[in-house]
Amino acid sequence: MSDQEKDPVVYSSLSKPLFISSVLLVLSMAWGLYDEMYATRPWKGYQARFEKFYSRYLKTAAGGEADVEKQIKAAPDYQRLNAAMMDAEKAAMPGATAIDKKINGDLVPKILALNDPFQEVRGHVGALTYEIEVTHSESSKDSLRKQIVELKAEKHDVSLPGEDQKRSMDFKAMGDLLQSMKDEKSKLLQQRVALMKTATELRAKRDQYLSDRIADASTSTIAAVQNSLSKFDIRIRQIHVKDVDLVDRCESCHLGTREPIVLTKAAMGGEAVFASHPNKEMLKIHDPEKFGCTPCHGGNGAALSSVEKSHGYNKFWLWPLHHKENIQAGCQQCHAREVVTEMADTLNQGREIFRLRGCMGCHRYEAFDREADEIANVNQQMRQLEQQKAEWKREIGFSEQKANNPRTSDTDAKVLFAHSNDLKVRSSGLDAKLEQFDMRSHSLVREVKKVGPSLKEARVKLKKEWIPEWLKDPHQWREGTKMPTFRLDPNEIRAISAFLWQAGVKADLPQQKPGDAARGKESFETRGCMACHSMGEGAAKQGGTFSANLSREGEKANYDYIVRWVHNPRQRSAPYCAFEKKDLTAEDYQRKALPYVFDLEHSKCPNDGHELQVQQMTPMPSLRLTEDEARDIASYLMTRKRDNATYANADYMDDPNLKNQGIALVRNYGCAGCHEIAGLEEEQRIGTELTKEGSKPTERLDFALLGHKAEAEDWYTHKGFFEHKLENPAVYDTGKEKAKQDRLKMPNFNLSKPEIDAVTTFLEGSVDAGVPARYFYNPTDQRQDIIDGWWVVRKYNCMGCHKVHVGQMTTFDTMTKYLDPDWKDQRPPTLIGEGARVNPEWLMRFLNNPALSETDTNRDGVRQYLKARMPTFSFSDGEIRKIVRFFEALSSQAQPFIAEKLDPLTDQERTMARQLFTSEGAPCLKCHMTGDVKHDSHATAPNFTVAKDRLKPGWTKRWMLDPALMSPGTAMPSGLFRHEPDRYVFTGPTPPSFNGYTKDHADLLVRYMFQFTPEELARLRSSAGAGN
Amino acid sequence: MDFHQLWTILSTADNVPIVILLLVVPFYTWYGLRQSFANDRLIAQLEANPEMAKTHHRKTQPWRPEWAREVHVWPYLLRIEFLAAIILTIILMVWSITLNAPLEEPANPTLTMNPSKAPWYFLGLQEMLVYFDPWMSGVVMPSLIIIGLMVIPYIDTNPLGNGYYTFKQRKFSILTFIFGFIVLWVAMIVIGTLIRGPGWMWFWPGTTWDHNRLIFEVNRDLPDIFGIHTQVPKIIFGAIVVGAYCVVAGLGMHKLITLTPFNRKIYARMSVLQYAVMQVFLVVMLSLPVKILIRLLFRIKYVWVTPWFNI
Repeated sequence: MSDQEKDPVVYSSLSKPLFISSVLLVLSMAWGLYDEMYATRPWKGYQARFEKFYSRYLKTAAGGEADVEKQIKAAPDYQRLNAAMMDAEKAAMPGATAIDKKINGDLVPKILALNDPFQEVRGHVGALTYEIEVTHSESSKDSLRKQIVELKAEKHDVSLPGEDQKRSMDFKAMGDLLQSMKDEKSKLLQQRVALMKTATELRAKRDQYLSDRIADASTSTIAAVQNSLSKFDIRIRQIHVKDVDLVDRCESCHLGTREPIVLTKAAMGGEAVFASHPNKEMLKIHDPEKFGCTPCHGGNGAALSSVEKSHGYNKFWLWPLHHKENIQAGCQQCHAREVVTEMADTLNQGREIFRLRGCMGCHRYEAFDREADEIANVNQQMRQLEQQKAEWKREIGFSEQKANNPRTSDTDAKVLFAHSNDLKVRSSGLDAKLEQFDMRSHSLVREVKKVGPSLKEARVKLKKEWIPEWLKDPHQWREGTKMPTFRLDPNEIRAISAFLWQAGVKADLPQQKPGDAARGKESFETRGCMACHSMGEGAAKQGGTFSANLSREGEKANYDYIVRWVHNPRQRSAPYCAFEKKDLTAEDYQRKALPYVFDLEHSKCPNDGHELQVQQMTPMPSLRLTEDEARDIASYLMTRKRDNATYANADYMDDPNLKNQGIALVRNYGCAGCHEIAGLEEEQRIGTELTKEGSKPTERLDFALLGHKAEAEDWYTHKGFFEHKLENPAVYDTGKEKAKQDRLKMPNFNLSKPEIDAVTTFLEGSVDAGVPARYFYNPTDQRQDIIDGWWVVRKYNCMGCHKVHVGQMTTFDTMTKYLDPDWKDQRPPTLIGEGARVNPEWLMRFLNNPALSETDTNRDGVRQYLKARMPTFSFSDGEIRKIVRFFEALSSQAQPFIAEKLDPLTDQERTMARQLFTSEGAPCLKCHMTGDVKHDSHATAPNFTVAKDRLKPGWTKRWMLDPALMSPGTAMPSGLFRHEPDRYVFTGPTPPSFNGYTKDHADLLVRYMFQFTPEELARLRSSAGAGN
Repeated sequence: MDFHQLWTILSTADNVPIVILLLVVPFYTWYGLRQSFANDRLIAQLEANPEMAKTHHRKTQPWRPEWAREVHVWPYLLRIEFLAAIILTIILMVWSITLNAPLEEPANPTLTMNPSKAPWYFLGLQEMLVYFDPWMSGVVMPSLIIIGLMVIPYIDTNPLGNGYYTFKQRKFSILTFIFGFIVLWVAMIVIGTLIRGPGWMWFWPGTTWDHNRLIFEVNRDLPDIFGIHTQVPKIIFGAIVVGAYCVVAGLGMHKLITLTPFNRKIYARMSVLQYAVMQVFLVVMLSLPVKILIRLLFRIKYVWVTPWFNI
């Protein structure tokens, strides 16, 4: 029978398939084990490589730094410290050794020997006691108690090392002996510490000396690291913050993050994963042990199975790692209410764009533009209160009428009268509330600003033909302007222009005579206009970016209006009553027989007594120019135009039919978000709120038809959505069939790539943070003043002129003119340390009126020699308070301010000080102003006669001792005083009266300045005159 | 043809069982039937040759006269099962190593996933929801499926086909199974997995699952087409139509059951109760594809609309 004919069920051999599948089974199990141990645990490989690279790097690092260290160790100071340490150690050694011997040779073995029998009995007693507690019958309890007593009384033979005889002790005796030996041991240890104290202190001092002088890591650090590296074990390294339930295992791969030695990519074999955290300062503020990693950086802290997963780049992970260019997004979630966050420049830039470019005009964002929200709120509440008042008034009338009705019974009448009286009282309470709201709105109308200019002034300000040309593409006309490009078709442009033109306030401006353009140019360039405005196009552009480029101003504006604007930008053509929702006209005032005057002093509505908007909502301040100077500057601006500029006729703008189309369009495009427009003052923001945009589910972001493309190209994320939207706001309309008015409205801001990154960072960080409230930056101390202050400082662009914090540039630092040595001193003062320098009460006065004079306003109160001049911002009281507190907080000054008491001057001292002031060696008055017009014309330093109001004495003394330390490059000379052991002495020749004077010379001058009187000024002037 | 989309659907860890199902079910159906047909030929041979039938009892192919009539379970069956167990273990090992459980969207009550799908083994039920009202497809039909499966041994009066593959002797049972399991159950799971996209819309394989897709579809109730809009007439009309279906389906089934002499023999062995129960289940089972067809082809939502249930 051949094989084929045999029954396969019985005769076929299965050994081959069995063998093969068994081998496969074994292999698959091996694969499973490998997968379990290595493939799903890639961090093991990272750790092994880290150890390899790190120890290799440490070897090289130790070599290089050893030389430096050797040098330092050879230095006499180090040698001295070392020797002192050695001596102290040597002196203390015999005592310490004796103690060590006593402890280790005698006490410790005895304690150990006694401990066991004692513990045994104690354990037994404990167990019996427990039995007593859980036993119910009294008799068994008693027998157990008896057992315990017996147990305690039982004698134990204990042989203690070092003693020949065995001791026989009961429980108590053992316990007492053990305790006494332990006490002795700790006493000896204390003695040892005391003995070694000097040596230990000296050693710390010596090591400090070394580590202070080695930039990065001393060999001892390296040795310590090497030592710990030799014990390096491969295990998961995690940060666990219990109360937040945070588990971050990032350091299982990023092992170098917190190493004491700075590790770079190059040092670690080219693997960036092992580099140290680039900002150690940041880690000091945000200790990873407390904050973890993912709350700031994003990613999936618990995941370790792959790079993609732990960085959270897998689908459906809601908080992916922030990309490098958006890394500061993490700051925003806790620092949500700040406009400036230290060390987060990109984020700050993003916020600045959001604020300055008018994003907040359409998109609500908590903390941004809160004045507008508040003003709407106040107005609404006022309206409600007025309504309530009117209602009550009516009710009072009814009640009294009913009470007076003869048919009403006396009891009822009493109740009714009482009711009406109640209402009267309550209604007077409403009056008080209303008054508060009125006061608040008096401040608010000054605080609220619009991003763009008021379009109510369009008729008086603009050339008619220019408007449609501008609307077509503002960036084409004026590069880099804040106004974004809307996607308007020609018909829409016509309608919008017509509406804006016809909605403009009709006012007659006084005819201005022409000014001198050349003088105007000079003023424009030196008065400080260019801190905010720029001039020139392309490469020739100079000046600030805060406000418009004025290179083509002459093409668009009317001369008469510009004169008014330059003279006082806050002046309006007509006041606006938010309560009545209308612009008031001269008739409204006439009806009440009032003059048609409206300014901050005349800000009540003649019709209803509520606060009017009497200012233009621009941050542009008044430079307190004379009318002539304003005319000069305006004339100069009118010359700024392109020669060949022509504009098409735009008579259609007077067509009333177009106006109605226009208002619908203006409403649709949300123009009122940035501009004040007649009839649209109360418009709501048209965009979506962005406060929490970063945590919107990705599915809720409308990628429209680009969703699949985005997924394929790997930008189906928040970052991708924001970037594409910012680059081309119409991008999500691609391919959509939509009516014009349904299309996306967001205009194109023509942002550059870095700007897009900045805004994306800001939006990516705008999340509903998952971290608990204690992580949020809500300081209750002076740091809150800093947060509040930045909003005001940014709002008015203080940083265009002043250095507010270290490392910051002002516009003046960028202008070619001010790079010239002659002009260097013409830059506005830096305000670093301003809080320590000036008296806060004076600062308040100064901010309120920088001329420091009611009558002579055409000047700067402190530095009249500066051509650039501190303008009048008409801050509200609240804003002034915020600025002052901001500077105080930046310099950590105590709040509230209490003036320092100085020793009174004797007559002799006053004479001495005056002589020093006017002496040849100390030409203070050569530069400092004194208030004397003739003298001040060539002064180049602040008026020191106001110093006593303006400055703080402590700062003044520090300043005189070394001005260059506080303000590098200042014209004030350093080294005026030299240090003698207990006082400062004037370096130059002193007047003879100083002979025998033993007090501090710098102190004397400070006291002199701070006890300055007008009489003294006269004496000083006369003696200075004599001296010169 | 959107191959990217196709690959995404086929390679999703959740869908891998369905893809395997797609290949394996037809293969084993074919494989089982092949054996059945081979056995059927042997049975025919034995029936034709009473001599051989006397000596030979093994009803499976291949077969030779000199082979043993019976073999022991151990080792001849168990060694094969052992091999199968090893191979299955390997498959499961490799599968579990290579395909991990996927992370899905976090649960968010305000934002449900789209399409939101049940686990694959429930997708048939979910697909049924398209064709019946939830009470029917979610409660009545699943219960009937379970009860129907339990009832089978009690209504099966065919004594043949135990312990060997055969088609001829169990033609009716096998065809009913193939219809009920493969055509209805597996096909609906496959539709639910691979065809139903966002919005539970019908996407042919290879088209893009577009969340923005809009289709125009108006579903009507049958009475509305006939201009019946008030409640009572609707109920009566629906009852008539459903009743008519039951009668027609029942008659058709009866015709099928009594088609061959063999089947008539089996039929004769059944009691009235057994036969009635079988008819009920068959008619209900048949209603599913009928409803699917009129829903998909004629856009008819319900046939019988009542305040209590809809069919």
